[in-house]
Amino acid sequence: MPNQNGSVFGLTILSPIIDDEKATPSHDLQIRKYLATLPTGPESPFAQAPGTHLARLVVMDDVVFVGYPAIEEHLQSKYLVFETNCDADLDEYLSGLAKAVPDHLDAIWSHCVGYPGVANSGAFIEYMKACQLETTLFFAAVNDKSVPVTLRALQTQRAVTDFIADHQGMEPARLQKEFLEFVGKLESEPVPKPGTMGPQRALKTGGRNE
Amino acid sequence: MSNINGKVYAMNAITPMKPWKTLVVKAFFLLLRLVKPLQKDLINLSFIEFARWVVIPRSRFPYVGQGQVKDEMKYDYLLFFSNFNGTWNQYIDAFADVLGSKLNLIWRWSEKFPGSNPVTGFKEYIARVQFDTDYYFTAYPQATANDLKSAHIVQASLDDLVQRARSCSPAEFSTAYLNFVIQVQGHLGETGEAPIVF
Repeated sequence: MPNQNGSVFGLTILSPIIDDEKATPSHDLQIRKYLATLPTGPESPFAQAPGTHLARLVVMDDVVFVGYPAIEEHLQSKYLVFETNCDADLDEYLSGLAKAVPDHLDAIWSHCVGYPGVANSGAFIEYMKACQLETTLFFAAVNDKSVPVTLRALQTQRAVTDFIADHQGMEPARLQKEFLEFVGKLESEPVPKPGTMGPQRALKTGGRNE
Repeated sequence: MSNINGKVYAMNAITPMKPWKTLVVKAFFLLLRLVKPLQKDLINLSFIEFARWVVIPRSRFPYVGQGQVKDEMKYDYLLFFSNFNGTWNQYIDAFADVLGSKLNLIWRWSEKFPGSNPVTGFKEYIARVQFDTDYYFTAYPQATANDLKSAHIVQASLDDLVQRARSCSPAEFSTAYLNFVIQVQGHLGETGEAPIVF
């Protein structure tokens, strides 16, 4: 299945944007304005809904004319492109979005032709699938790890770095005891929220470029 | 507009193809998909987190009715979406250097594609067919593709060590811990803010 690589799904959706000359500002501009105010960190709608590794929303104004002797042609509609790299099952992912961030989805897609709204979850999923394009080739650098597993691994990597630095040359019995305490503490910590930068670390100075 | 979030850059590009040429491109993509070793260079580039190519046949732009005018184009279109680490110039340079021949096999069927070498013409073409991202999210903005791979190696090694640490003597643990440090020492690079590159 070309849309999937391992356990990661590559979803590509093009939704036609309403072309209404009476709308001021135009619907594509209204989408752009809304997207410009949308947070991209842990408050992002994609951080609040489960399963998004990376996602983008793009207003595609037209196809590109590459110059003569190619033929110049234009789209009848502008399209809202939704490209996401997400975990597992498509229906599950879309219904997760619909449950977690219905207001954001409606605010964005209500400018698209035929959008039924998320109030009817079945119609919403059906609409998104009607606008879906099949991916021809999908590449993923890591294709067998979910979002929470990845965030946990990044948290572990940071903690292990600090632990090793702080426990050099320690006597074995004490090292073992402190290691098990460290692991217990690490396992009890919550998985970091998607979209967070991780803890601020002090700048290291004195490098050879200074 | 935000093509960048943390350490990742979102690139979008669209190129026109004569419909008969689409068959060739699709056959090549099928080959790349089925014969995984052919993706080796893409994997070795190591700064691409996710990338995809999507072929849109000329009469298959999504159509939902309800007043939408159906798009009937003369060309098929090849969409390309990439999520990579580093700057645009670094990406295009490395892409052209490492994947030059394969890139040519993918894009040579697109109208006016000049080839990936010399890279100046290639960059001009990409700049022409690229369009900007309005909104970009990543669950782990502090991490690059290599950070992700390394983090999973550290996690797996730690899980192994934890199993042993609970039942072995301090002397045995000391040896196992040393082996663990040797295993993960190349994977402990710090994540955090991206460096500023001009």
